[in-house]
Amino acid sequence: MNTHIESPAGEPIIVMSRTFDAPREVVWLAFTDAKHVAKWYGGFGFSSPVCEIDVRPGGIWRHVMRTPSGADYAMEFVYVEVVRPEKLVWKNTTHGKEPRPGQLNVVNTVTLEDAGKRTKWKLVALFDSVADRDQAMKNGFSTVITQGCEKLNDTVKTVAAVMEAT
Amino acid sequence: MAVDPLSSTLFALSDPTRRAILARLASGDATVMDLAAPYDMSLAAVSKHLKVLETTGLISRSKEAQWRRCHLEAAPLRAVSAWLEDYRRFWDRSLDSLAEYLDVMQRPPRPRTKKRHGSAAHRTKRKDPLR
Repeated sequence: MNTHIESPAGEPIIVMSRTFDAPREVVWLAFTDAKHVAKWYGGFGFSSPVCEIDVRPGGIWRHVMRTPSGADYAMEFVYVEVVRPEKLVWKNTTHGKEPRPGQLNVVNTVTLEDAGKRTKWKLVALFDSVADRDQAMKNGFSTVITQGCEKLNDTVKTVAAVMEAT
Repeated sequence: MAVDPLSSTLFALSDPTRRAILARLASGDATVMDLAAPYDMSLAAVSKHLKVLETTGLISRSKEAQWRRCHLEAAPLRAVSAWLEDYRRFWDRSLDSLAEYLDVMQRPPRPRTKKRHGSAAHRTKRKDPLR
């Protein structure tokens, strides 16, 4: 695994980081230009029959990912923040429709740090607290709303510990 | 708005007390009294947490007797664990692919081989991949 993954304490996020052998401007293009994104998104064996990107705040990223076995997964994201060539924030969008079962609301923030001919890449995945808030309302626990969502780190640890014990 | 089961599980896991309760139940079933013991918390408050865990399917409670025993249900946790693993794997796979593609993007243009027909003027210009 070449990607460094951590879950810092105190925040409901997953952080992944990696260094690429390419200048920042190139990495930025690879992440924001549809014709480039379609080449790598999903990984080896996956293809992208649809990749449309409108890279500006409020712009939509429409993507269909085809798995090696031929199954298509349609995804749609909306850009929240676009600061060329250093910061890109996007999240899933359902256009007000209910999320599919198993679909989580995640806000992804990629930052690119200039390291000469290399680029330090960092992804912060934040679990959208809107769903949490809605759930809190539904359960009638108004007190927990103010707490927001907790650190995913502990969640991951709990999941791991409990899974091990059972 | 309907919330999907995964979000519900994550919500239930978002509270440190509820996580501690789950961790305790991982070592065996327990009553509300047992679970409340380590906390400076009323039984009612602990019961509220148990209600959230039960609604989400993270625990089940036996029906008999006054002191119902709580039992950990691993299935929702397995779903969270699987989701996190998928998320991780997706990015790791994509970034491997990206690393290789970045090399392609930066490769200097290859000299064009001469075509049998047509002059240099007819040669298509090599597309700069960065444009």
